[in-house]
Amino acid sequence: MRIESHQVSLFYQEGTPFESKAVSGVSLAIEPGERIGIAGPVGSGKSTLLALLAGIMAPTSGDVTHDGRSLGRRSPPKPGSVGFAFQSPENCLFEKTVYDDVAFAPRALGLEDEEVRSLTNKALAGVGLDVERLGSRSPFSLSLGEQRRVALAGLLAMRPRVLLLDEPTAHLDPVSRHDIIERLVRLNDDTGATVVMVGHDMDEMAHFSKRLVIIDGGSVVADDEAGRLLSDRKLLERYSLKLPGTVELCRLLGEATGGSVAPVLDESGAVELLLKMAGGAEGGTCS
Amino acid sequence: MQLTSITIGQFYPGTSLLHRVDPRMKIMASFAFVIVLFLVHGFGPLAVLAAILLAGITFAGIPPIWLWRGLRPMLILLLITFFFQLLFKGGEEIARLGPVAFYREGLEQGVFLVMRLVLLVLSGSLLTFTTPPVLLTDAFGRLISPLEKIRIPSYELALMMTIALRFIPTLLMELDRIIKAQRARGAGIGTGGLVGRARAVMPVLIPLFVMSFRHADELALAMESRCYRGGRGRTMRRKLKYGWRDAAFMAVVAAVLFTSLWIGM
Repeated sequence: MRIESHQVSLFYQEGTPFESKAVSGVSLAIEPGERIGIAGPVGSGKSTLLALLAGIMAPTSGDVTHDGRSLGRRSPPKPGSVGFAFQSPENCLFEKTVYDDVAFAPRALGLEDEEVRSLTNKALAGVGLDVERLGSRSPFSLSLGEQRRVALAGLLAMRPRVLLLDEPTAHLDPVSRHDIIERLVRLNDDTGATVVMVGHDMDEMAHFSKRLVIIDGGSVVADDEAGRLLSDRKLLERYSLKLPGTVELCRLLGEATGGSVAPVLDESGAVELLLKMAGGAEGGTCS
Repeated sequence: MQLTSITIGQFYPGTSLLHRVDPRMKIMASFAFVIVLFLVHGFGPLAVLAAILLAGITFAGIPPIWLWRGLRPMLILLLITFFFQLLFKGGEEIARLGPVAFYREGLEQGVFLVMRLVLLVLSGSLLTFTTPPVLLTDAFGRLISPLEKIRIPSYELALMMTIALRFIPTLLMELDRIIKAQRARGAGIGTGGLVGRARAVMPVLIPLFVMSFRHADELALAMESRCYRGGRGRTMRRKLKYGWRDAAFMAVVAAVLFTSLWIGM
C-alpha cells in the first residue's frame, strides 16, 4: 500500500492557551515495500507523524492518503491494512490468554476460526514465541520483552501490508532489541510489507533503515538513503543524534591514520575493513 | 468526541480579579451559590444567579467554547431531565401529540431543572477555570483543617484530591491512546450497536485499569523514596492571606445570593 501525506499539520489543544504545534506541513510519500526509519530529537513530532500516517489521528490541516484514498473521520483506513503501534504497545494487552490477545484482530476482522488459528500461530512464531508454551498463559504474567512480542504479534496477525511502529524496542534488553529489529528486517525482505519505524538509536537505524527521515520541530529536515544520512556526523549532531557505532569507528580510524575511511554500516563490514587494514599493515599476511 | 478536549477540572490561566481572589473565598462562594441554587424556586431568583455567574465568567475572560466543552458531556443528562419533566408532570394541558399530552407545569419544571443543572455545572467550572488545582486543594485542606480536632486528616484528604485532579488529564490522554490503539487492532469502539459497544469496552477498560494501578504504585514509591511522611509538621511555601479583594468579592457574592433568596422564598 502506498501512503502519502500532503502538507499535514497537527496542533494539540487548538484554540486554547495550551496550543502546541506537533507536526507542521509534512509531505511524505511511502512506497510499497519500503523500510523507513524516522528519527529526530525527543519532542520533534515523529510519533505524531507516525500516527497521522496510520490514520490513527486526524490532521488539523492537510491530507493523508492510503493508495490514493483520502483519510478522514468518515473514511478510516481499511480495517487490517495498517498495523500501528504506539510506544509500549504491551500496555494495550487485555485478553485472558496470550493466544486470545493475538487472535483479537483477526477475529475482529470476522475471519473463520481455522484461519484465525493459523494466522495467530504464524504471528506468534513470527515474533519468536512458542504457542505451546505461552499460548494459554495470561499476557500479564509475561516479562516485558515477551509482552512486547505478544503486542507485535497482535499486529502481525492482521497480515497488514504496512507496519508503523513507534520505538518498538524501547525499554527492552539488548538481545530482544536486536532480535526484534532483525525480525522486522526479515519481514520486510520476505513478505514485501512496508515497515516504518520511529526511533533514536542510530545503531538500530543503521541495521534497519534503507531510507531515513529526520524530523525536527515538526518538519522533515532530511529524507534520503539511510547510508548517506547516517554517515553525516554534522547533520546528525545538529538534531541530537549520533553516528552509528561502525560509522564512528570508521571516522576514528580515518583520524588515526590521517586519511579517510569510507563508512560502513554493519558490524561484519567493519570487521572486514579492520582485517583489510591490519592485513595492509602486516604486508598482506592476514588469514 | 475528542476525549482530550474535556475541560472539567481544567484551569484557564488569566490575571483577572477572579483569578486572584483567595481560593478559600472562591470555594465558600461556590458552596453558598450551590446551596442557594437549590433553595430557591421560580425563574426570577434563578435569573439573578445566572446573571452573577455570567458576569463572573465574562470578567474572568473564559472563552464561551470552554464553557460549552464543559457542558457537552452533560448534554444527555440534561435532555433526559427535560423530557422526563415534560412527559410525566401533570397539570394544565398545553399541547397534545397523539396519545402524549404536554402540560405547562411539566414544561416549566423541565426548563427550570435544566437551568439549575447548567448553573450548577457552570459554577463549578468557573471555580476550576479561575483557580489552579494546587491552590484549590490547598484551600480545601485549609478550610476543613478545623476538623483535625475530631481526627479527620484534612491534609491527607487535600492531598488525595490534588492527586486525583492531577491524574484526570493523564488518564484521559491514556484513554484516548488506548482507544486509538485498540481501534487500530480492529476493535469497533464507539461504533456498532449496543451489544457491540458493550463488548468493545473491555479492550479499553482493562488496559486503563492496569495503567492506573501502575501509576499509583509508582507514585507511592516515588513519594516514599523522597521520605514523604504526610502532613504532620509540614509548612507551606505559599501562605494564604485574606485581603481587601477577598472581602469585596465576598460582599458582592453575598449581596447577590441574598437578593436571590429574598425574591425566591
